[in-house]
Amino acid sequence: MSALLRYQAALLLRSQRWLPPVILYAAFLGIGVQGGQPVLDSLGYAAAALLPVAAWLVRICVTVEPPAARACVAAASGPGRTHLTRLLVALLATTSLGTAATLLVTLISDPETTDHHTRVPLLPATAAGLLATLACALLGTAVGALTNWPLLHSPGRAVPTMLLAALLSAVATGSPAQAAVSGLVTGSRSGEVPLPLLPLAAAAGLAAMAGAVACVLSSRRSA
Amino acid sequence: MRRDLRLDGVGRRYGLRGPWVLRGVHLALAPGTLTRVEGANGTGKSTLLRLLAGIDAPTEGRVTGRPRTAYVPERFPSALPFTAHGYLTHLGAVHGLSRTAAARAADEWLERFGAAAHARTPMARLSKGSSQKVAVAQALLAEPELLVLDEAWTGLDTAARAELERAVAERTAGGGAVVFVDHDPRRLSGAPCTTYTVRDGALESRTREPSAPDDGPRVVVEAHGPQGAQPPADALGALVSAEETAPGCHRLTVPASHSDVVLRALLTARPPWHVAGVHPLGKDNHR
Repeated sequence: MSALLRYQAALLLRSQRWLPPVILYAAFLGIGVQGGQPVLDSLGYAAAALLPVAAWLVRICVTVEPPAARACVAAASGPGRTHLTRLLVALLATTSLGTAATLLVTLISDPETTDHHTRVPLLPATAAGLLATLACALLGTAVGALTNWPLLHSPGRAVPTMLLAALLSAVATGSPAQAAVSGLVTGSRSGEVPLPLLPLAAAAGLAAMAGAVACVLSSRRSA
Repeated sequence: MRRDLRLDGVGRRYGLRGPWVLRGVHLALAPGTLTRVEGANGTGKSTLLRLLAGIDAPTEGRVTGRPRTAYVPERFPSALPFTAHGYLTHLGAVHGLSRTAAARAADEWLERFGAAAHARTPMARLSKGSSQKVAVAQALLAEPELLVLDEAWTGLDTAARAELERAVAERTAGGGAVVFVDHDPRRLSGAPCTTYTVRDGALESRTREPSAPDDGPRVVVEAHGPQGAQPPADALGALVSAEETAPGCHRLTVPASHSDVVLRALLTARPPWHVAGVHPLGKDNHR
């Protein structure tokens, strides 16, 4: 498994296809997050923006190999296991990016509520930000897993579906990512730092289910 | 490979209501055997090979006894962000080798296929033939128990084709099973092999009559062994014919692709045989 992880990670890094989503995310943060803004607001913004990035990184990891190379690796270690490492590498890349963004946002933001009257404790705020980031990364990975190969083959269908699903799962009520993010925003008004454990658990469950579906189908819809 | 890879009542179709590409396939691949799959274009040969390699799961039926498998596709587009050596080292590790063993095996197999000069070339800059060599090397790196070759010879130069035939002979002699599809009927001809034909989505076994005399290039090995003894068991499977010309003197005819395997078996036998001469069996002294 570690050899597979190294291979897939090297594929992602050396392909340089990670550059566009990372640059876009950085630009998004550059516009939306400025120094001196209330910390929980900015953390919510950073977490929500990570969701489409996660889906995009899954798409890159899943499509970076030509089908022939994919078949060679699948024969060596099984199609399901190979596909699982692709999803794990994408999730790992997203969480690294999200963690870095969360820490940066905490450093430059003001530890205060939206009305600047109450102080927000910085350590719990960082923890809440990290949990919300992880929830968004997991849900984005689930979206990516369900809207790309092996479920949707043609880019013409996969890309719009993926973008729409990512947008919906970031803003629609009932989505764990939306719950985690709106928890942060509400906390920024009230001054109470939430701990989005429930949304995180829900996102992890959804990601596990989506990953399982994609891995099972990787040997059944592989043509 | 300790036990057979078995396909029991295996069928495969694409999509929920697609037509059956293959159906009712019963097949067992034993260790140390060579299997040829024939059939016209689009009959499902590649689908069968993908099922055997474990890349596709059957829609119905069961596959049991999956060994360590390697697969060579017919075309290997090289749009990968690695050098040839870097890719092979990664794949060697994926096949279960340690990093150092994988790097060593990568060098060795690139050398064997005459692609050592391209070891540090980015894959994207390789020619079609050279990237096919990388695809073949990738499969042979870790001595797989099951080697699946889907027209793997396509695009290789003459020397590399012969080398791949020798590598297949080594694999079967080493106890691995090899399955292949190739449109050249002379491919690995003379080597003992089971042939199956895919027709109308079903698999037909074709019992192969003893190879015709003209079937592929041959090599004659003159060897001295214990009087009245049979050639070593490791060599026997590869022989086309064996005759004792004088007491203790044997004249062994082998397919050219299997000469190395037979010589190795003779020289490493206990007690070792003495190889007195090796020469190609020309067209003029054929009969």
